[in-house]
Amino acid sequence: MIKAGQIDKGTALLVKGQPFVCIEREFVNPGKGSAFVRLKLKSPATGQVLSETMKSQDNAEDITVEDRDLQYLYNDGENFYFQNTETFDQIDVPMKSFPDYEYFMKEGETYRTTFWEDQVLDITIPSKIVFTVAEAEEAIKGDTVQGATKYVTTETGLRVRVPIFIKQGEKIRVNTETKEYLERVNS
Amino acid sequence: MYDFHAARKRSELLMNIRTHFIGKGYLEVSTPTLSPYLIPEPTIKAFGTRFINEFTGSRDLYLIPSPEIFMKKLLAAGSGSIFQISECFRNSEQLGNIHNPEFTMLEYYTVGADDNDSIGITIEMIERTKPEGTDAPWLKEKPLVITMHEAMWKHAGVDMDKAEDIAYLRKEASRLGLEAAEDESWDDTFNRIFLTYTEPALPKDREVYLTEYPDRIACLARNAEGRPTKKRWEMYIAGMEIANCYDEETDKAETERYFSAEYSRMVKERSGTEDIIPPPDPSFPGLSIPPSSGAAMGLDRLLAAHLGLNCIEPLLLFPLSDMLRQ
Repeated sequence: MIKAGQIDKGTALLVKGQPFVCIEREFVNPGKGSAFVRLKLKSPATGQVLSETMKSQDNAEDITVEDRDLQYLYNDGENFYFQNTETFDQIDVPMKSFPDYEYFMKEGETYRTTFWEDQVLDITIPSKIVFTVAEAEEAIKGDTVQGATKYVTTETGLRVRVPIFIKQGEKIRVNTETKEYLERVNS
Repeated sequence: MYDFHAARKRSELLMNIRTHFIGKGYLEVSTPTLSPYLIPEPTIKAFGTRFINEFTGSRDLYLIPSPEIFMKKLLAAGSGSIFQISECFRNSEQLGNIHNPEFTMLEYYTVGADDNDSIGITIEMIERTKPEGTDAPWLKEKPLVITMHEAMWKHAGVDMDKAEDIAYLRKEASRLGLEAAEDESWDDTFNRIFLTYTEPALPKDREVYLTEYPDRIACLARNAEGRPTKKRWEMYIAGMEIANCYDEETDKAETERYFSAEYSRMVKERSGTEDIIPPPDPSFPGLSIPPSSGAAMGLDRLLAAHLGLNCIEPLLLFPLSDMLRQ
């Protein structure tokens, strides 16, 4: 058991017998009231998101999880396929549990995953990732408006709004939470 | 790394607020951020530090969670309507989203006005002080004024006329699927329902003034006549709590009772924990505060709302969470 106030992003909990991972946590002090915490909990199995409001002194049932590094192989539109490089076991994870992760994971790279029993509860992706621009719209000639932008597509298929000076083949750093362009990376 | 556009908009907002209040005849004041005593508020945790002086002896000092204590002394001394923009500090709050332990607060007291007048004062001030070039959609909608009674009924199906009775409130919590302990206080059960069902359902497309809070939640606002409510409101924009307002308590005996009860509660709750217990200001309950409304507004959050954001961190040049990561 842990106190609700100790729950953080990434904490795994058992709610009515099902594992959930905390994806958002916010402390709220309602005007002149005790401290509460507002949680968004996601079920890795179904992608369902629960909103819970608990007093920070309430008890919650936390579960022991284990981190494993897995190599991402590919996806078939329904599942992500990973391999445990030590045991060569293949692990499939429903894509609906991790929306948009297909744009952030690169085939062949290793990712830290969080297991509870045989279930993948979480896949850690960096908060900022460098992508190569696979396709870039041509900037409209004569468009000199300050702050003008256009869309590019990364090698993983992610569409990102970037400043007009970004060209195909260049590298850009992207915030994976907001899917926003951060900066051009000189290689 | 530093968002100078947001910094410029903040500077404009602060300048516009100053110009607005000064134009209305308010006196801008500047009061201490470091104090040897605070108003006892068990739900607010303070930062403590120490004044060291080998001649006069050392003293514990506290960073203010709001300038209320000093501004009310000025009101009692005949300042007339006053306002202040100051840095305030709250300990043990979350880092990020809409929180930072140090934040910018606007506090304004209008002599002769009540909580109701203060809604108009606030709506006008927000409209007239918006930074140039910001055009948030919520500002175009008519603000909503809704009582807690209406909001609890509409969004949680709880009848506040019956809610005085804790047995009824517990039954309602259970009907709504909330697990409240048998010995949970009235405030906590109420807030459990309010935070789960009512607050998240408040409209997010306009300013919302939630009025007439239950009088069971102790605060330095006057009681409404003939109703079990306080003359108090909280204001939300886009789901963010932006401001609160009291029709200020002027009765010395009531203030004394509040000080004594809240200080005892704080001592009881904090004994044996690492939370500090700032001493209450002994002279405060004796102040002759003129009838006035007092409002406090988080300016980082107001700026976020003007810029269409629902978090304040990108607007702070040095958020504490960033400094702690270094």
